[in-house]
Amino acid sequence: MARSKAYVASVGFTKVGDHWEKSLLDLAVEAGSSALKGAPKAKPDVLIVGNMFSAVGASQEHLGAMVAGALGLTGIPAFKVEAACASGASAFNVACSLVKSGSVGSALVVGVEKMRDLEPEEASQALAMAESAEYTQFVGASFAALNGLLARYYMESEGVSRDELSSIPVIDHANGVTAEHAQFRKAITADVVSRSSMVADPLRLFDCAPVGDGAAAALILGDPKAGAGKKLVGVLGGAVSTNEFSVYERKDMLDFRATRDAFGSAMSQAGLSLPKLGALEVHDAFSVVGALSLEAMGLSKRGEGCRDAKAGKFDLRSDMPINTFGGLKARGHPVGATGVYQIAEAFLQLTDAAGKNQVDRPDYVATHNIGGVDTTAAVHVFGRAS
Amino acid sequence: MAIQSWRIRDRYYRLVGSRCASCGAEYFPPVYRCRECGSDKMKDKEMPKTGRIVTYTQLHEPLPGFEAQVPFYLALVELENGARVLTQVVDSPDEAVKTGAKVKATVRRAKVEGESGQIIYGYKFIVA
Repeated sequence: MARSKAYVASVGFTKVGDHWEKSLLDLAVEAGSSALKGAPKAKPDVLIVGNMFSAVGASQEHLGAMVAGALGLTGIPAFKVEAACASGASAFNVACSLVKSGSVGSALVVGVEKMRDLEPEEASQALAMAESAEYTQFVGASFAALNGLLARYYMESEGVSRDELSSIPVIDHANGVTAEHAQFRKAITADVVSRSSMVADPLRLFDCAPVGDGAAAALILGDPKAGAGKKLVGVLGGAVSTNEFSVYERKDMLDFRATRDAFGSAMSQAGLSLPKLGALEVHDAFSVVGALSLEAMGLSKRGEGCRDAKAGKFDLRSDMPINTFGGLKARGHPVGATGVYQIAEAFLQLTDAAGKNQVDRPDYVATHNIGGVDTTAAVHVFGRAS
Repeated sequence: MAIQSWRIRDRYYRLVGSRCASCGAEYFPPVYRCRECGSDKMKDKEMPKTGRIVTYTQLHEPLPGFEAQVPFYLALVELENGARVLTQVVDSPDEAVKTGAKVKATVRRAKVEGESGQIIYGYKFIVA
């Protein structure tokens, strides 16, 4: 049983993109140090690192102790949590559970990924590790290929047009323009998406999140008084759920069950209904994944996610803005860090520190991070604590 | 990694999946527990070699080891017994690769591994 509550006291992050001059550890330390500046005492009680493939991206494992040492935290327990692209939010979930259980009073979460040191084929191989080596990678199916299959199935089953599919990337890029940490800060039209180069038919380049480096961090406290008067954000709900491992093994490929269950559970813990949410960070690694996630969370009816996006239902100035700093497509998707970026962005929105990307005084913000094709889903719900 | 492929050669060469001894549901890839009834009484079973394309994609950006093959078709095929296989579709005209198309299994060179250049064989499908 949860004995304590959990609060985010501070966050830190690097810009997402090509960090040729910085190592995996440089990025982790930059984000972690920035979050620790908000720390009320010398050391957090535990460090949890979220990361997907440092072993192949940087020939490096044992990130817990390594990042702890580099941050001057030698001595504290430190772990790496891996759940493919959901590693970041999964690390956050574990850290919150430790804080809420009362076993620790504070926790630092650092999500980090170094992707750009890899050649494009190597990066595809690293991402494909989220799927079965023996039956998915073996046939030459990249992660984009699985999403391509899913996109065609979605478009043919639900009558979604190419133009409609392009609408979520358009929102991301519009919001990325004013986001200083975003990888891409350029608005695009649906036409740009629909005419970009083919990756895995029908998915094109602008349907797919880019490859980039980045790190994000969050400091979690159990006692709000330990926040020393700083603005805190409450973690009101958090859940992780899993689906049948590969999308092609599921009876209904269009039902993102892990997302549906995790979102339902997190919202229920928070005691919230959908209209209360002021913003949602949704995991749209591919346009089709964004649409199916919005549908699973009940923001759109089945088959309507793209059409709702096209109609403006999720724009920054709408009642339900999504991906307020550009989402996976424009802010970027340094995979193991992405979930923590989303949480940092929710923190900025709820402390009125989102600058030009500020949505109109939200009381509650949710974040949705997935690994695989809805194979692991981690959802958290945040609210103003003071 | 060649041993990883050798270990499951029957699955790659003959589509050996699994059948639930309790309810009869059949799977490829094989499963440890039945998704229909939850039983763990799974037996190896060779799959039928024909089915239909449920959906497909044409991949343009390959994984390492597949560069020479791009662009190539990947399809989700539902076999006659209801099992679903993710597979390449080869040696078929572009216009024939479509949702609902009848396909049949064949064995092809899947990839070449390691410095010794060991050839790994496995199932691919062709439009029937």
